[in-house]
Amino acid sequence: MGIDDIEVDLLEATIRRALVRGGDFAEVFVEDRATLGLKLEDRKIEDASGGREVGAAVRLNDGERTYFAYTDEVDERSLFAAAEAVAAAVRDAGAARATVVALGNVRTGGGQHRILVPPETVTVRLKSQLLRAGDEAARAFSGAVSQAIVSYSETRQRLLIANSEGGLVHDDRTRLRLVASVVARREDVIQTGFESLGKSMGFEVLDEDVAAEIGRLAAQKAVAMLAARPAPVGPMPVVLANGFGGTLFHEACGHGLEADSIAKGASIYAGQLGEVVAAPIVTAYDDGAIANEWGSSAFDDEGVPTQHTPLIEGGRLTHYLYDRMRARQAGVSPTGNGRRQSFRHVPIPRMTTTCIAPGDADPEEIIAATKRGFYAKSLAGGQVEPASGNFVFGVAEGYLIENGKVTTPLRGATLVGNGIDVLKNIDMIAGDFLIKSGMCGKDGQSVPVGTGQGTLRIKEMTVGGTGS
Amino acid sequence: MFEVVDEVLRRARRAGARGAEVYAERAHTRRIKVYRQRVEEISVALRRGVGLRVFQDGAVGYAYTSDLSLRSLDDLVARALGNASVTDPDPYAHLPTPQGEPAPVDVYDPLLAQATDEERIAVGLRLEQAALSYDRRVKTVEDTVYADSDAEVFLANSAGVRGSYRESDCYAFAYVLAEQDGQVETGLSFTVGRNPNQLTPEACGSEAAQRACDLLGARKIASMRATVVLDPFVAASFLSVLSSALTADAVQKGRSLFAGREGQLVASEIVTLSDDGVHPDGLASAPFDGEGTPCQRTLLIEDGVLQGFLYDTYTANKAGRASTGNGLRASYASLPSVRPTNLVVEGPPTPLAQVIGGIERGVLVTDAVGVHSGANPISGEFSVGVNGLLIESGRLAGGVHEVTLASDIVSMLKGIVAMGDDARWVPSGSILTPSLVIEGVSIGGV
Repeated sequence: MGIDDIEVDLLEATIRRALVRGGDFAEVFVEDRATLGLKLEDRKIEDASGGREVGAAVRLNDGERTYFAYTDEVDERSLFAAAEAVAAAVRDAGAARATVVALGNVRTGGGQHRILVPPETVTVRLKSQLLRAGDEAARAFSGAVSQAIVSYSETRQRLLIANSEGGLVHDDRTRLRLVASVVARREDVIQTGFESLGKSMGFEVLDEDVAAEIGRLAAQKAVAMLAARPAPVGPMPVVLANGFGGTLFHEACGHGLEADSIAKGASIYAGQLGEVVAAPIVTAYDDGAIANEWGSSAFDDEGVPTQHTPLIEGGRLTHYLYDRMRARQAGVSPTGNGRRQSFRHVPIPRMTTTCIAPGDADPEEIIAATKRGFYAKSLAGGQVEPASGNFVFGVAEGYLIENGKVTTPLRGATLVGNGIDVLKNIDMIAGDFLIKSGMCGKDGQSVPVGTGQGTLRIKEMTVGGTGS
Repeated sequence: MFEVVDEVLRRARRAGARGAEVYAERAHTRRIKVYRQRVEEISVALRRGVGLRVFQDGAVGYAYTSDLSLRSLDDLVARALGNASVTDPDPYAHLPTPQGEPAPVDVYDPLLAQATDEERIAVGLRLEQAALSYDRRVKTVEDTVYADSDAEVFLANSAGVRGSYRESDCYAFAYVLAEQDGQVETGLSFTVGRNPNQLTPEACGSEAAQRACDLLGARKIASMRATVVLDPFVAASFLSVLSSALTADAVQKGRSLFAGREGQLVASEIVTLSDDGVHPDGLASAPFDGEGTPCQRTLLIEDGVLQGFLYDTYTANKAGRASTGNGLRASYASLPSVRPTNLVVEGPPTPLAQVIGGIERGVLVTDAVGVHSGANPISGEFSVGVNGLLIESGRLAGGVHEVTLASDIVSMLKGIVAMGDDARWVPSGSILTPSLVIEGVSIGGV
């Protein structure tokens, strides 16, 4: 049975079966996901892999408890078996029992993020040409380029989400991504450069010129870093470039605003609503509804419409990011941030595209105003402990700033700090706002996210490197 | 599942596949979370699926599906063949051939299947209780998780490789928050086994709590060059980055700093590192890898000298040697790739107290964040954020935080001057390592 063959009656009957021993919310999540991945390395297309996963999950909430079961088969027998497994796991349920509302409130997503050329209508051969274009451009950039890995991936995810409150959502998401990772070598020095483009769009966003540009940008970073000196150690002003610099806000603040950490008091931002958590020039938001962004979708993975959620306004904390269960517990509306990797995962509060709003400074003016500092042009991944607020991230491309000018490239730098300290230390924000795509991992689940920001300066931050 | 496997092989051959390999798996998994001595989540699942790799004169195509209907299996075959038509032919890419009997390693414990949910929940409750009662400064246990898996793997190819095995494993962990004077510190510990009775929830809970409490009062310190002691958790996270440079895949593609250095000293003479896919206690042990090659023990570094690399069938063909049984799969949805099984560090043990007693000034590192983002496995350079305990005149002198540790992998391996007597399994990867003592590491502070 496919996702299109599932009748409303079967969804209702499944929800009813899940609720037989109590519970205040039940949900059925059906997913049909088709993927294609191509990878070029050593000038050869070496991996071409595609697949299809169809499955369903049944979830029951009883107060703060979650009961969850999934199955790789989508038919009446398997759906009922999952519902019964969930009901059988229920222990000492509260007196509250959800009444099942007939599934009437049907909503369909997909139109918000228009797909002009569905990737499945394009031949695999044409897609493989993109990888060669990226590879050739990277190698043409410099003779120092010794290796290039270029990969393409596409996903079409069709969803059916029904719950005991009567909501029934159909969603249809298409995402594609092109990534280039380039190695440059000069004598004993090896450096790498990375660039990517990810969108909730069809094949119209990619062509050989775009792929070549991604390959060239990755090569440029790797080659620039060949001349790099070891980064210095210690506190100094840090200028974060636009785009990938948004990782800072994602790590320093975003994770700490996810309502699961808040509910357990495991975040430095718990109890801080209305308080000053950043410099007055900082305004920040999460927005899962930006048209065609990599981290966007019409609905979240619980069928809640995505939205623009203001997080910090004028330096004051205004809102957290909620899934349904945490919103129910907190007595607020869900914010469309209940996300999951697949039907095999329980939804939890997650960011979508998280941004620091653009300021009115000029990027050049920020550099010019910095006598000595560190310019982080591109960041690698990062990590945070929301409970303490301590975070760290790697710098993929960094430079020294001397007398208001970007000078020597620096390698091997890490930035460490504490969320609120760093946000309060932001003293300049530029208007060159740019969104970049990435994958974010939490509790063993990986979801597509975006980060957006303009070039900004942090008055002082600890840089860790091997130099002096 | 062999019926499905054989059906796919038949259909692949009929559709014109010259070489075909089918990998199928079926797994029952359970996950239980506990919070404040109550069940927070119970998840139960049956996961299954099948993957097909075809070889068409050196061109490889892969496809997978969780839908095992006959119509879907035909679609699977068509997709795999279609994908093979766009990959570039490679003379070394051919179907693995039978490589002998599976390794005699027992990775299934029937006691797991007999465990009840009540017993599983009890592990979580005991684990959380041990953490909560360890110290009054323990604020909460943010996550207490018990999880297990009972899985069967089936593999067959058109060259006569055929095998299956059943594997059980379980683990539990606690992530503890401790608080003092408004400062919050975190601690994590794991316990792993093949059935729930092998887990040690009390010891694990106390240890996670201790790791958080020990850091309370942590302060920033000035930058210095000093001796560091990486505890087994931290040592394991560095070893997992290092291990990618020890695969033949990285070597052959110019991504390894160890390429061409076999027979050379790449680490301190006290260091021996092996990949042991048949270790009786290793959770990554298996009778054969994702291509049907029997698992084995492979020496990587002996007495500091680089001995060799890890191979799957493709990289072995290219190097003109045999696979080491390291063609592993993350699941039926992925192609085999060269990865370590269980990594084992061996060397002369020194009691940890004696190690610390001999350090004038240094840091016992108990937590490293950003190892995967802050380490460059190609150049070997890394810079990561660390927390730990200051060592002054041979004594532990309070917590330190917000400091960075920077070096490169080879300098670090060569700088190992001693190992602790505290070797243990760390589940991030499956690594058996003691604490590692390293001299001359750059520490970045205020």
